[in-house]
Amino acid sequence: MSDHDDLLTGLAGLSAEPPAGLIDRVAARWVRVPGPIGDVFVASTDAGVAFVRTTDSVHDDAAAFAAAFRDRVVARPLLPGGEPPAGVLPALRTGRTGDIRFDLAELSGFERDVLLAAATIPRGEVRPYGWIAREIGNPKAVRAVGSALGRNPVPLLIPCHRVVRSDGATGQYIFGPAAKLRLLGTEGVDLDALRH
Amino acid sequence: MTTEEIRAGDRAAEDARERVLSALAADLDAGFAELYAAYRTVVFSTALRVSGRRPDAEDLTAEAFLRAYRALTGYDRERIAGLAPRAWLLTILLNVWRNDRRTVARRPASSPLEAAPDPADPAEPVERTAERHETGRELAGLLALLPEDQRIAIVLRHVDDLPVAEIAQILGCPVGTAKSHISRGLRRLRELHATTASSEVPDE
Repeated sequence: MSDHDDLLTGLAGLSAEPPAGLIDRVAARWVRVPGPIGDVFVASTDAGVAFVRTTDSVHDDAAAFAAAFRDRVVARPLLPGGEPPAGVLPALRTGRTGDIRFDLAELSGFERDVLLAAATIPRGEVRPYGWIAREIGNPKAVRAVGSALGRNPVPLLIPCHRVVRSDGATGQYIFGPAAKLRLLGTEGVDLDALRH
Repeated sequence: MTTEEIRAGDRAAEDARERVLSALAADLDAGFAELYAAYRTVVFSTALRVSGRRPDAEDLTAEAFLRAYRALTGYDRERIAGLAPRAWLLTILLNVWRNDRRTVARRPASSPLEAAPDPADPAEPVERTAERHETGRELAGLLALLPEDQRIAIVLRHVDDLPVAEIAQILGCPVGTAKSHISRGLRRLRELHATTASSEVPDE
């Protein structure tokens, strides 16, 4: 029955390896890179940067970062390794976000609009929450702007820290008000002048 | 295949299962990397040979592993420890494929069956590669002509080398039924193979 054997050998030869990059359509990757207020963990999917946290804010623990990522972004495995996504290192060094690709698929349209408006604020400058609300054509949504900024999955890279209260107080921040002050200080913002 | 070879295959499969489950119990994300490494070939081969199209097989494989991960995030320790990961993954894959096909069936047909050969192995002599591709392309094309149950059973048994009991578990049928899908599928493949072969050889 050599026909039979040929057939079975032929079928066994139909086993095939997936292409090498296929896992990156399933899993996100994380890297640890230097940032303006200490190191940061950066997670990205094949669509772009999806999640950023300072190492301080997750007790310097990659597992805690993975857990925060899982809670925030629709669940995807998060694996170590890979290169930092293009543009991330210079953006963290210079505060100029440039043309980083972001994966903001989990956000609402409103949240995305808020973040894209915040991304246009240059280093060394700040804007009030109401400015963002006006920019996105929703001038009454000042509170909602604050919540959307508070849920920014990619802080530092989208500089939500450059949005402050209209009375000059610095306001809330994902990593706490002290970190916001420090960050604006490193960017050369005259914090005292803001209060006048 | 000798009994000893079969036992060695089962042992290797059991070792892989234990390694994957203990990695998953220790850390879900690192465990997922183990799960992917251990089963990517069997999942992709099944997707490719059941769907017949390489781009579909890539989509199906990615989707199946993503669903598997999302299911795992909701499983407790005990449930993970009791998993038969290979059969579980292949069940997820085939569900994704059946659901996709139902969706696709409502749309007009796009591209024809590809039945693409595997990329060349650089260590293999050119004429052997050509021969293997010929057989591979033909067989992959013939698989597409089998009824769904037979095609899946044949792929699981003879492409993936799974034991019949595991195939029955994946198909959700008794072992006898799985065996009958396999033997009927093989008989049909042999007939189809003979027809194609004789049509290629000119009469003397």
